[in-house]
Amino acid sequence: MFPQFKPAGDSVLVIIFGDRIDEGINKKVHAVANAIEKASPDWLIEVVPTYTSIYVYYDPLKLSYQEALDAIKPFLSAEPKEEKPRIVKIPTVYGGEFGPDIEFVAQHNGLTIDDVIEIHSKPLYRVYMLGFTPGFAYLGGMDERIATPRLEKPRLKVPAGSVGIAGKQTGIYPIKSPGGWRLIGRTPLRLFTPEKDPPTLLQPGDYVKFVPISEEEFWKIYKREWGEQK
Amino acid sequence: MIELVNVPSLTTIQDLGRYGYQKFGIPVSGVMDEVSARLANYLVGNHDNAPLIEFVLKGPTIRFHSSAVFAVAGDVEVKLNGVPIEPWQSHWAKRGDVLEIGTLKSGVYGYIAFAGGILCDKILGSCSTYLRAKLGRALKQGDKLKLGYAILTGKEGKVLPEPLIPRYSNESEIRVILGPQLDHFTEKGIETFLSSTYEVTPNSDRMGYRLEGPEIEHSEKGADIITDAIPLGAIQVPANGKPIIMLADRQTTGGYAKIGVVARVDVPKVAQTRAGGKLRFKAINVEEAQELLRKRGFLFRNIKRLLDGEVRGYKIKALGKEFMVFVEKEK
Repeated sequence: MFPQFKPAGDSVLVIIFGDRIDEGINKKVHAVANAIEKASPDWLIEVVPTYTSIYVYYDPLKLSYQEALDAIKPFLSAEPKEEKPRIVKIPTVYGGEFGPDIEFVAQHNGLTIDDVIEIHSKPLYRVYMLGFTPGFAYLGGMDERIATPRLEKPRLKVPAGSVGIAGKQTGIYPIKSPGGWRLIGRTPLRLFTPEKDPPTLLQPGDYVKFVPISEEEFWKIYKREWGEQK
Repeated sequence: MIELVNVPSLTTIQDLGRYGYQKFGIPVSGVMDEVSARLANYLVGNHDNAPLIEFVLKGPTIRFHSSAVFAVAGDVEVKLNGVPIEPWQSHWAKRGDVLEIGTLKSGVYGYIAFAGGILCDKILGSCSTYLRAKLGRALKQGDKLKLGYAILTGKEGKVLPEPLIPRYSNESEIRVILGPQLDHFTEKGIETFLSSTYEVTPNSDRMGYRLEGPEIEHSEKGADIITDAIPLGAIQVPANGKPIIMLADRQTTGGYAKIGVVARVDVPKVAQTRAGGKLRFKAINVEEAQELLRKRGFLFRNIKRLLDGEVRGYKIKALGKEFMVFVEKEK
């Protein structure tokens, strides 16, 4: 049944590897996406790996959909490497002005604030994909004991680095933006730096570990990361 | 160098887009109407991807601090030192000249190209402005822009033949390739989508155009999908059944089912439709869409060669319609 192939318009070929969010499926997605990128055939514009699919952006002036199908077939056998994945530690101040919704998250789930911090900072979260905004990581593996619905009315301004919970998901806002997630903390790290290549701290396939820090440590790292920028 | 004397909001520098970074969540951006933008660049002898100014509905006023050759693309009144000049032609400006661009009479996006292109600090390989993440910024009064080096002699006075000038309509048929999540819609829903007229709402911008019209019915799979990528022209249908066409500044990924993707040749038609304008959708297959793109690519090459003086162009009338033919020059 899988993989399946579909056009998404006249310039994109979609390869679908499964129909559920699953670490094994996602590993296969990234293995094949990396193999296509590494070969970088001249018709390739770019590759966007997601939870279960790869969007292959190609140049239809160089090859047809049918030819694109034939051209990607050899890459489908690529298998995930048994390398040790990169673990990115995300220092995070929980609660207070950095995480104004942590009390709500605790109350909603019948926990103390310390429970929330412990439960949230314990797992290794897998970066399934990046998308939505520059450097935003779709993380998998949050404990359902701290799942909390989104805000009814989104905030107009969420500071960069804010760590939030939305339903069964957790994530970090890379840039200042509006947002409806319940904010439980904030990291001083820069997740998106356009002057760097790659421009994002997190890469698909990485694992993330939130590490609780003090406010003092936050400002020390913040200064190093952001300089005088606010 | 040019100076922006008067700048309506949302005037930005764009090129054909920032490719290769969608996997990091960074949108492609780039010009909203690649046809008008490419033609503007061809008129001043630039390559397709040269950075140029994009304006929305109303154009800026520009003072030249050195000689330059420029062309304006759009259905708009243009004045140089107060004297009306034609859009879709290249003109010579000398130091001290002032270019005033009025309000578009049709369409939404207009372009100003300069021979040599605008010099800009590329971010991740592109000069495209993406305001939401502060990749570049909107142009403002007093901004001075440097132009790239170009031999100006012979670049002025190029005229895009009348039949080749894009016409912007507020009622268009848009060709789409159905899918990739067609199974999230009922047959009735797909039928509604293909047989109804949808209106562009004012709630539309460089990110996407929200449409108003008959609700498109989802199948039992519903409106939500496991988040995946969003190509240019993708038509998402959220739970309210109202389609959204995703354009240049679209987010790279999203969780709403996509009923179809606009054929790339028709994306400029969508972008140039004003709020209140009407769109109808027609399904074509991927092979037809690619054939249309190849034909357009062939036409682009010929227009470029025509403006560069490598071929001659003739207007012919047949069956009551005007056509352009391109004839190779004798060697």
